[in-house]
Amino acid sequence: MKALVIDDSRVMRRIVSNILVEVGFETIEAENGRVALDQLESHGDVSLCCIDWNMPVMTGFEFVVETRKHPEWRNVTLMMITTEGEQDQIVRALAAGAHEYVIKPFTPEVIVDKLQFLGLVDVKESV
Amino acid sequence: MTIPATWEPLTAADPVLTIAQDLFSTMIDGEPGHLYPWMGENPPLEDPRYAWVDVSGPVVTRVMLMAGRATGEQLTRALLQMDDSEAVSDADFADAVGEIANVVGGNVKSLVTNPGALTLPVVTHEEPDMSKAFCLLETYFGWKGAPLGVGLWALAS
Amino acid sequence: MTLTAETFDFVATLVRQRSAIQLERGKEYLVESRLAPLARSAGAADVDAYVRGMRADITKHDIVVEALTTNETSWFRDLNPFTALRSTVIPDLQGKGRHQLRIWSAACSTGQEAYSIAMIIADNFPSVRANIVATDLAEQVLAKGRSGRYTQLEINRGLPAPMLVKHFERQGPTFEISSALRSQVVFRKHNLLDNPPAGGPFDIVFLRNVLIYFDVATKRDVLRRIRNSLAPGGYLFLGAAETTIGVDETWERLQLGASSVYRPREGKAT
Repeated sequence: MKALVIDDSRVMRRIVSNILVEVGFETIEAENGRVALDQLESHGDVSLCCIDWNMPVMTGFEFVVETRKHPEWRNVTLMMITTEGEQDQIVRALAAGAHEYVIKPFTPEVIVDKLQFLGLVDVKESV
Repeated sequence: MTIPATWEPLTAADPVLTIAQDLFSTMIDGEPGHLYPWMGENPPLEDPRYAWVDVSGPVVTRVMLMAGRATGEQLTRALLQMDDSEAVSDADFADAVGEIANVVGGNVKSLVTNPGALTLPVVTHEEPDMSKAFCLLETYFGWKGAPLGVGLWALAS
Repeated sequence: MTLTAETFDFVATLVRQRSAIQLERGKEYLVESRLAPLARSAGAADVDAYVRGMRADITKHDIVVEALTTNETSWFRDLNPFTALRSTVIPDLQGKGRHQLRIWSAACSTGQEAYSIAMIIADNFPSVRANIVATDLAEQVLAKGRSGRYTQLEINRGLPAPMLVKHFERQGPTFEISSALRSQVVFRKHNLLDNPPAGGPFDIVFLRNVLIYFDVATKRDVLRRIRNSLAPGGYLFLGAAETTIGVDETWERLQLGASSVYRPREGKAT
């Protein structure tokens, strides 16, 4: 399965990408929302987007709004991964069509837990 | 100049310490215990670097990370999982330290009521001109022995 | 980095005295990993040094016991039992005319399990009323559970964002669960080797990832007490790696989706 990691920070893209690769994803990257839209278009088989909020050119929020206008991308799971942590921001993002929301900082388990709940990754039980 | 009311919760150092410790334990060190409050006088920073984000609002507030170049490099290596022998490029440095400022700034912003938007991080060698700014908080931490500072400044509009 | 036998024995004895939990040989890794952060915060060279330093100080004993006995907590831990709860167990109980469910979350730690159960019921079974008893040994975790307040790091673990915005409200650095859900859970101090807590007989008992710490005799004792606390038709959920098989044959196991659930065998109650 393919995931698109969208963040203006290379450090963050690498951290998220490593976590996703560990649970079986193939990952591609984008440094802002506009590049991400191009990536979605050209790859066509992306099933998950991990999206930062604050980015130049096009923010993650704008990317979510834009993506949800496209019926062909209805089944792409949209997970925000951002420092924006106010209740209002989370509500706004979910209302705009994001499926999940991770507040930075996070551990790998945080992301994997959410992917399990979404059914994108098999549940591995804890001991 | 009085402290803007919405920022008062921040002038206790503890929330900032918690934010910093959470970030370091989850994403930099992989375990808790390596970031602690700095005891004693504010430490000097060797070849200091500055990284900040601004929070807009009735008063623009700057959340600034301060660290020596060598410490910044160590942080970059930790985040990018580089070997000690690998050279840290300016771009990687700015990216890593900027992202730390972004996470700290974003979390600080979440603590106050009605905050504005968060700017993208800026990373510089020169200390920005803070002469017209009012310092809300300046606190230092030790990370594996190296000093790190976080400052909150209300900028004159 | 291996612990000395002396350190391990001291810690194991302390934990057994305070909590009935047995740390057998082979569990050194657990002691090492749980105490390492404490050792670092205290500035000790390693866990052995830390334990040497705190042995004589009774005020430090609680912290060590808590570090060893606290489960890694997250919301909807392992997911499958909660799916089984939603798809099969509660509909079954509802079908039998039970609209007020008595539920026991044993070894509840800071309460995420109890509140997760409350959320499943609130979101899927609005006509069902849940009375949840959450028990643990340590007063500190109970107090936290009662407060219903969790840090950002805790809230990130396993809680779906739509449930976060529906059931929690951010208060400064913490997120607080709604008073509606908080009122459905009662937190009580309780030792599993005592008689069951008030609030039963229970339709559902969660006893997850606790039995693994006990020796066989203690496991049997605990399971017997749990069986006596169950209402007719009641269900027991254990941890994913745990089973009654080979320990107590008076239970039957049912496979519900990817999860196992246990019920007393007919006619075997003592």
